[in-house]
Amino acid sequence: MTGAALTPGMASLLLFGVFFGLMFLRVPVAVALGLACLPALVIEDRLSPMTLVQETFNSYNSFILLAVPFFLLTANLMNVGGITDRLVRLSRDLVGHFPGGLAQVNVVLSIFFAGISGSSTADAASQSKLFIDAQRKEGYDDSFSVAITAVSAVLAVIIPPSILMIVWGGLLTVSIGGLFLAGIIPGLAIGLVQMATVHAYAKLRGYPTYPRATLAETVKALAVSVPALMTPVIIIGGKIFGWFTATESACIAVLYAGVLSIFVYREMNLKGLNSALLDTGKLAGIALFCVGTASAFGWLLAYYQIPKVLLSGVSGWGMGIIATGFFIAAVFLVVGCFLDAIPAIIIVGTILEPLTKIVGMDPIHFAMIGIVSLAFGLVTPPYGLCLMIACSIAGIPMRAALKDTFIMLLPMLAVLALVIVWPEFSLFLPRLFPPGTL
Amino acid sequence: MYRKFTAFYAKLLSWVLVASVAILIIPVSMQIFSRTIPLIPAYIWTEELARLMFVWSVMIGAMIGIREGTHFEVDVWPQMGPRPTAALKLVAGLFVMVFALVFVWWGWEFTWSARNRISELAELPLWMIHVAWPLAGVTWALFQGEHLYDHARVLMNAAPGSKS
Repeated sequence: MTGAALTPGMASLLLFGVFFGLMFLRVPVAVALGLACLPALVIEDRLSPMTLVQETFNSYNSFILLAVPFFLLTANLMNVGGITDRLVRLSRDLVGHFPGGLAQVNVVLSIFFAGISGSSTADAASQSKLFIDAQRKEGYDDSFSVAITAVSAVLAVIIPPSILMIVWGGLLTVSIGGLFLAGIIPGLAIGLVQMATVHAYAKLRGYPTYPRATLAETVKALAVSVPALMTPVIIIGGKIFGWFTATESACIAVLYAGVLSIFVYREMNLKGLNSALLDTGKLAGIALFCVGTASAFGWLLAYYQIPKVLLSGVSGWGMGIIATGFFIAAVFLVVGCFLDAIPAIIIVGTILEPLTKIVGMDPIHFAMIGIVSLAFGLVTPPYGLCLMIACSIAGIPMRAALKDTFIMLLPMLAVLALVIVWPEFSLFLPRLFPPGTL
Repeated sequence: MYRKFTAFYAKLLSWVLVASVAILIIPVSMQIFSRTIPLIPAYIWTEELARLMFVWSVMIGAMIGIREGTHFEVDVWPQMGPRPTAALKLVAGLFVMVFALVFVWWGWEFTWSARNRISELAELPLWMIHVAWPLAGVTWALFQGEHLYDHARVLMNAAPGSKS
């Protein structure tokens, strides 16, 4: 035994009770997590509130998390350096003539963006500014525009590179190269069902469409975009061939976006660079601060062996791989409603891992179920960052966009179900590489 | 006077933040390219320096987040009038204040405990990193104090939305 003063039951009641209570009072989530740790730290003789400071320090003192500011910076550099503009033009030439042209461009741009940056919040922030007002002017409903911008932003963490994959791989020691490859097919599939959803909406509501671009225009837009589209190849290739580590790959993405902005597209100026750096620092600061207090919270859960108690019941259910998969997805979908994805991986991913080992689930399969579910959590209330960002930029309350968001989530959940019942769907690409090379 | 100071301090923090994010790129790039380009020296401390800069940029970013009120919160309340909203914000703000003071007190203890220790690779004094915590606590308290004052004024029924 740990010799703790509180039993696991009492401790979990205290931890979760204070956390939810404070969150209800609109205390920032990061602070609520930190304050929830305090009573236990004071009660236990062996612990002190300094543990809170120590644990937050330990979590930031990590080379893995450095990928977060780097991917945010990549996204910001793309915007100020003209890369995004080129990709918009290309997307428009490719899908602008489909029903709901601008919304289709919105989804396709998210797919391109996802291949370069690994941050959904960055995608939501930049594309909300780009699309919501433009779609409003073309007669799209606000709730539709907000919802499609938010749900397409989640692709950024499913299609590689992805911050979540780097954190997951680093924390649970899974091959990050393998995760990158595993995300490609499910990510593209989710993008496709989103385009189909837009198609259905556009037909029903008569959303506008653009004239078809000529072949020459498309080829020209493609040629201009080739340097930008090379980014995923460089990042994923470099990771798989071992030229650099996952965090370093994020740094490469920054350098490459910088080189393109300064030397190829030549649209970067000092003011743009300054605002890109400042925005990166601010968003990384608030996003990662939460990771620190969540780590302290997770550390206390482990201290009281709460995960073990929670899982002792579940492992008795005798679930197979598929049932376990659905169970994991359900847990992450619920947790994703209340927590940001990285803290959720830290707290819940580590809790569930033993369960998947018992049933013999492939670690990459487990990771993909978790990451896709958590990505959906980015648009589910009350704490869905991408949806919150899109709503605040559009200037509408979150509840106004909920119905359309849930309608769009339905086909995406079908893809998640496919990921669960058909492991090869995500494992096919990583298995092309002989074991040991990833 | 107080407001002028916090505004100036926030500006200063923004500059430091821009610099630290920019500098982050350097050690990591050196680490990558030193493996393939012999001209770049392969220092062992690049990784540690990157982590140090990273810790500081997270803490500074979080400080600015308090001033700008951008730390993410969950909103389950219906739309309310200015005074109930101010009351709710005051209560939440007081909890943030408690958290700030925890960081000041135990952050200082944390810093003091590391006063004679140095980092493993770069051999930097560790307190240089640890001191970010008490500093964050003080900064949070400063910025949060400003917000609390504003909410209290709205609650005491100064004209809603007026700024002093």
